[in-house]
Amino acid sequence: MKAQTVRKLRHWVQLLAFLFFLFLLIGAGRTGFLPADLFFRLDPLAGLTNMIAARQVVPALLIGSLIVLAVSLVLGRVWCGWLCPLGTVLDWAPAHRARSKESDLPVRWRQAKYFLLLLILLMAVLGSASLLFLDPITLTYRTATSAAWPALNALVTGSEQALYAVPWLRGFVDAFEGALRGSLFPTYQPLYGLGVLAALLFLGLVALNAVRDRFWCRYLCPLGALMGLASKFAWLRRTVGSACVDCQRCARACPTGTIDAAHGFESDPAECVMCLECVPVCARVEQHFVWRAPWRRAGNVLPVWRPYDPSRRQFIASAAVAVTAAGLLGSERTAGRDDARLIRPPGARKPEFMAQCIRCGVCLKVCPTSGLQPSLTSAGWAGTWTPVLVPRLGPCDFSCNACGQACPTGAIPPLGLDEKQQTVIGHAYIDRSRCIPWVDGRNCIVCEEMCPLPDKAIKLEELEVWTPGGVTAQVRRPYVVHDRCIGCGICENKCPLKGEPAIRVYPPSEVGATG
Amino acid sequence: MADKMDRRRFLQRLLVVSATGALGLDACTSKPAPATSTPRLAASPSSPAATQPPALTAQLPTATNAPTVIPATQPALAPAPTVAPAAATELPAATSTAAPAYLAVVRGPNPAELTRRAVAAVGGIERFMKKGADVIVKPNICTSYHTFEYATTTNPEVVATLVKLCLGAGAKRVRVMDFPFGGTPQASYTKSGIADAVKAAGGEMEVMSLMKYRSLEVPQGKLIKKWDVYGDIMDADLVINVPIPKDHSAAGLTLGMKNLMGVVRDRDGMHARGLHQAIADVATVVRPQLTIVDAVRILTRNGPTGGNLNDVKKTDTVIASTDVVAADAYATTLFGMTGKDIDYIRYGAEMGLGEMDLTKIKIEEINA
Repeated sequence: MKAQTVRKLRHWVQLLAFLFFLFLLIGAGRTGFLPADLFFRLDPLAGLTNMIAARQVVPALLIGSLIVLAVSLVLGRVWCGWLCPLGTVLDWAPAHRARSKESDLPVRWRQAKYFLLLLILLMAVLGSASLLFLDPITLTYRTATSAAWPALNALVTGSEQALYAVPWLRGFVDAFEGALRGSLFPTYQPLYGLGVLAALLFLGLVALNAVRDRFWCRYLCPLGALMGLASKFAWLRRTVGSACVDCQRCARACPTGTIDAAHGFESDPAECVMCLECVPVCARVEQHFVWRAPWRRAGNVLPVWRPYDPSRRQFIASAAVAVTAAGLLGSERTAGRDDARLIRPPGARKPEFMAQCIRCGVCLKVCPTSGLQPSLTSAGWAGTWTPVLVPRLGPCDFSCNACGQACPTGAIPPLGLDEKQQTVIGHAYIDRSRCIPWVDGRNCIVCEEMCPLPDKAIKLEELEVWTPGGVTAQVRRPYVVHDRCIGCGICENKCPLKGEPAIRVYPPSEVGATG
Repeated sequence: MADKMDRRRFLQRLLVVSATGALGLDACTSKPAPATSTPRLAASPSSPAATQPPALTAQLPTATNAPTVIPATQPALAPAPTVAPAAATELPAATSTAAPAYLAVVRGPNPAELTRRAVAAVGGIERFMKKGADVIVKPNICTSYHTFEYATTTNPEVVATLVKLCLGAGAKRVRVMDFPFGGTPQASYTKSGIADAVKAAGGEMEVMSLMKYRSLEVPQGKLIKKWDVYGDIMDADLVINVPIPKDHSAAGLTLGMKNLMGVVRDRDGMHARGLHQAIADVATVVRPQLTIVDAVRILTRNGPTGGNLNDVKKTDTVIASTDVVAADAYATTLFGMTGKDIDYIRYGAEMGLGEMDLTKIKIEEINA
């Protein structure tokens, strides 16, 4: 195959893989669909970290991780150059490439990614998965779920509303709504607390392209570092022939800047993302990707182990930081007592949940009510970007068990619907200083109406009261039967009071009080 | 992502594709603009294209030009769900052939048959619509929690039969919709069995879209003066309200008038203002021409969400009337109550929305 054809092929594969990523994201939670978490299964960093931190074996993650690492051992970092959605976005974004005369960034910066990798894995050994929010797949998924998708939907809905005001466009808007609402676009506007933060983080990483092309992949990506270590010994590797005329074109074309003009234009397989951009630009067609056993290194100038690769010193530094971080996270306020409103998805149990959650955000995506929100600090910094139910935004839908079904790691267990409907995630408490029948002496009763349990966990007591107006009135006051309440939070969600609702869900005491 | 497509060519292609797409989509929908919509009012079976008695239009604020046929005994039947003052009572009686029942009660084992007989007894579906009418059927699909056997959502057979009747009488399209409070609309439509039944009958399920609500004056409202109502409900030629009678702690019972809460926004606000009067206020402007109460099963406790088959009572009954107050009043008897026991029915009657005293109306009881 001609080099130009392979290069084009890669562009198409990248586009298709990215569309597939979006396709899985949009379709997540629909029954009978491909696994929404497919990309996470192919993410060895998330997989290994999860299994180490949680001391468990998740077959789907293990198999996927091993496949990807095995592929890296043979083909190098093809994952990064061909499939990774973040890498694809970075390829599409405008980028700054080093000119030949320009002194490049210090090569030692490349060790930052190994530092992050070691840190994440060592934290995992210490039982923490907190840093997985830096994984490129979770990062991209989370940004798409909690920022890009809701923003796009808000734009579409806003445009529809504007167009709907024009009478002759209504047919078009109706048809659009009928065809795409609920399938391509969500029925209701998804709302996320950390959408802006996710967007800023993501845009920041993309903006680093202005410093150097694929800045993230070169210097920061911990997943790339892991695959890079495997790719050190890849069978497919780049060679430069003796007829090289020093034209520098390959070095300029390389998005990761690993082609080293000072060393015969050779490259480090751990840094190369197998994008093949260098091949067609070669003046003499003097470079090839050839099959060669890793131990046959005849003619190579570059040493296998580069100055920026993990060293003993770096390992010790990472370990020191990991221990310090573990100490800090372990001494957080939330390590002693949970936030008063920390309600986890159904079946999630402390402390395993924190170790099992990979911060991917699939559960946020599939939650139909937007009730599941990424936490910033309510679960401590250790739990940033883990899911928390915020009933005031959306209750835990009684007829839904999507989060557990979609969770790639079992952090939210895959409960059957019957089981989920009996799983206690919290208890509702009535605030008598705000509740309408208590305060105003008139009926309201929305919470009782909304309670989805067949026997109602909220009951009404009928009695005669003095109203604030100084007369007696018959009023029905709600009370909660705590043994029945599962904490779904629809009562809190639908409480007609503005501001602080008069009935609120708190974590069940048997789960949340202390670690 | 193909290799070198310059910006201009990309934009050209984008324009062509989106334009064809837009044209294609537009061609698929032949919904007329509301300004030129077909006549909204019910026509008599004997004269489906009859012209308008001039006296009627004067009383309606909106300029409709279609006829209304109202049995002589009937008070205050505003002809369409339109901004019509409910006090515009004593509409002129039109000539009716085989005096349809004011309220029909049909009992029997087959829900579809019950529905057909009930509609026939109040004058047949042709009384309420002309060929080409745009029809909306509004059942109670309140949650996605249970199947219809739990009596939390309207019986799918009843709904599908109404869809078939309307299509059989030449309706242009029949849409079925509700705004569930628990679970997504799609899940609720499916779980209730209504989606499948309606599609098999040739109707469409519509997910109620937030952009279609519009602010509506409620001139007679006591608590509510202005409220957001689903525009299509106001624009449709025929709206059929198909409640299922259920226990409801706040409202006492949820029936036809309560079922209309499904077409307004800010239901919290209605609760906060005083639910019963708010329901009656809404009923002064949202006025389905026909109410079909699906009492095949009723929910006697733990409503409106249900979930326990022991709370379900099989009553094998369908009630039909043009008067939602009368239909509701009759439905209360299934629970051993009367219309007076439910505040919103009483308020509705006091506001002239219909007759709550069952002794004053002609009731036709049928065994099917």
